[in-house]
Amino acid sequence: MPVDQRRINGPEVTIPYNIYFDSNAKQTETRKTLPKKRTDGRDSTELRKIFVKTGIVSQAKGSAYIEMGKTKVVCSVFDPREIPNKTGYSLQGELFCEFKFSPFSCLKRKIHQQDSEEKEYSIILQRALESAVCRHEFPNFQVDVYALVLDNGGSSLAAAIMASSLALSDASVPMFGLVTAVTAGIYQDRFYLDLTEEEEVICSKAPDESTSSRNYGIVIQANLPQHGQISEFFHVGSMDLANMKPTVEAITTACKELCPVMQQCLVKSVLKALKRKENMEKEDQ
Amino acid sequence: MADIPLSLAEKTFILHGVDANFRNDGRIRNEYRAMELETKLMPQTNGSARIRLGNTDVLVGVKVEVDTPFPDNPFEGKLEFFVDCSANATPAFEGKGGDSLATEISNTLALAYQSPHAINLKTLSILPHQQCWKIYVDILILQCGGNLFDAVSIAVKAALYSTEIPKVTAATLDGGKPDIQLSDDPYDCIKLDAKNFPVLVTLCKIGDNCVVDPSSEEETCSSASIVLSTLPDGRFTSVVKMGHGSLQPTTLIKTLEIGKLVGIKLNASVMESLKKEDALGTNRPIFGFLR
Repeated sequence: MPVDQRRINGPEVTIPYNIYFDSNAKQTETRKTLPKKRTDGRDSTELRKIFVKTGIVSQAKGSAYIEMGKTKVVCSVFDPREIPNKTGYSLQGELFCEFKFSPFSCLKRKIHQQDSEEKEYSIILQRALESAVCRHEFPNFQVDVYALVLDNGGSSLAAAIMASSLALSDASVPMFGLVTAVTAGIYQDRFYLDLTEEEEVICSKAPDESTSSRNYGIVIQANLPQHGQISEFFHVGSMDLANMKPTVEAITTACKELCPVMQQCLVKSVLKALKRKENMEKEDQ
Repeated sequence: MADIPLSLAEKTFILHGVDANFRNDGRIRNEYRAMELETKLMPQTNGSARIRLGNTDVLVGVKVEVDTPFPDNPFEGKLEFFVDCSANATPAFEGKGGDSLATEISNTLALAYQSPHAINLKTLSILPHQQCWKIYVDILILQCGGNLFDAVSIAVKAALYSTEIPKVTAATLDGGKPDIQLSDDPYDCIKLDAKNFPVLVTLCKIGDNCVVDPSSEEETCSSASIVLSTLPDGRFTSVVKMGHGSLQPTTLIKTLEIGKLVGIKLNASVMESLKKEDALGTNRPIFGFLR
């Protein structure tokens, strides 16, 4: 891992103190298995309340902010520019996506440079958005998309995908439709939508060997709800096919439900822009 | 991946062939090309394998070293994948050209092996909190003729199957410092339990159908493909979508169903041939790169 010499880095090896907590303590015992009712009282297929707003960053061509429970993500999109270090002509424009956790967003401090997880997420973000953007409209150019997680309360990649699609449309990048994404967790045959950070940790650890069902894992799925298409599908864990089907179906319906929220947000921002224009014209007179 | 320029007519020809379940090399949709697999061909490694699948050629070397375990997983060893796309394969890989593909492959492999259902990393522990084995899996891509992911995963499985880790006879704490003693006999080794190692199955969506083991020409025709890592019992440890296209939910499920069946078969046949090779004993001739 290359180290940034110009920045003051922390000591090379540090260990978060949390791992020294007594794992046998009562508190963690109850958290190891997911109860039927979730800790925040949601139903297994219920999403958290969501807040979206466009036009957050004034310097960017388009930007969006999303809040899902504790998760807060800012995303900004910049003007198309020529693809750097590219020889030859590419018929299709490119999307450059960068996903970053801010240093203080997670339990463990993140370094300033992208780590492997963030690089992986950047690629997922790119693939989720690519099929929604009319890339033939800007050949030989690239559009930069930066997603920054301010606070990670789980499902931050799904939030970043939605924020990016809003930011892209706010930047008037031609698109086929909006992209919505939902994270699902599977733990012992049950699945939960829109995970919190705690649930993410539980779902990414294998259940004990003694339990009847060994399924666990996380599924991130991005949809184009206006076209009924899946633009990105990503699963880690260990799961059999029988459990995959209901999860995909549940996510697809949840993605459809999210679409009006985002459309409403875009309508609002358009109305606001129109009003501003009206006011300016009045002032000119 | 190395892009092969195809005209529209050629693409349509391939697409119609896939529709008719008769591909341009004579295979049906879910049929693999014949593969050559050989293990233990490099003396400097703890385990090695080479695969040739059509024109795809991959060489994998496994080395083990002693390391300290991660503080949050003190009872487990480590496993890491490094992929090197050699410029021999395509001039496009020269310099940093192959880096994005290399990270994509190594990430997908790391995801496939992340589950304890696939590999039990606890067996790699020497002294909890102090010492563990770290397995370096180095993958060299010598030639690419399509379907890199599957070829790499089969080679990795074979290389890990052939890996021999020296036996530790005693591991004690001496004044706060771990002190390990290796067995004097160089043949005194432990083998990894390869029973549950996953293989990757790439399903390339061409037209309305999915194709297994795509050649480079077929890869150019497809806008989206799904890479699944399947365990021998048919479970998935990771599912990753590749390419810039999108698919319908029903297509996705159908693809997963095909992938499961193909994965189970592929796992079984790889395991069978590895056992066959094992049965030939240590005196079998090594073919290496001479064909």
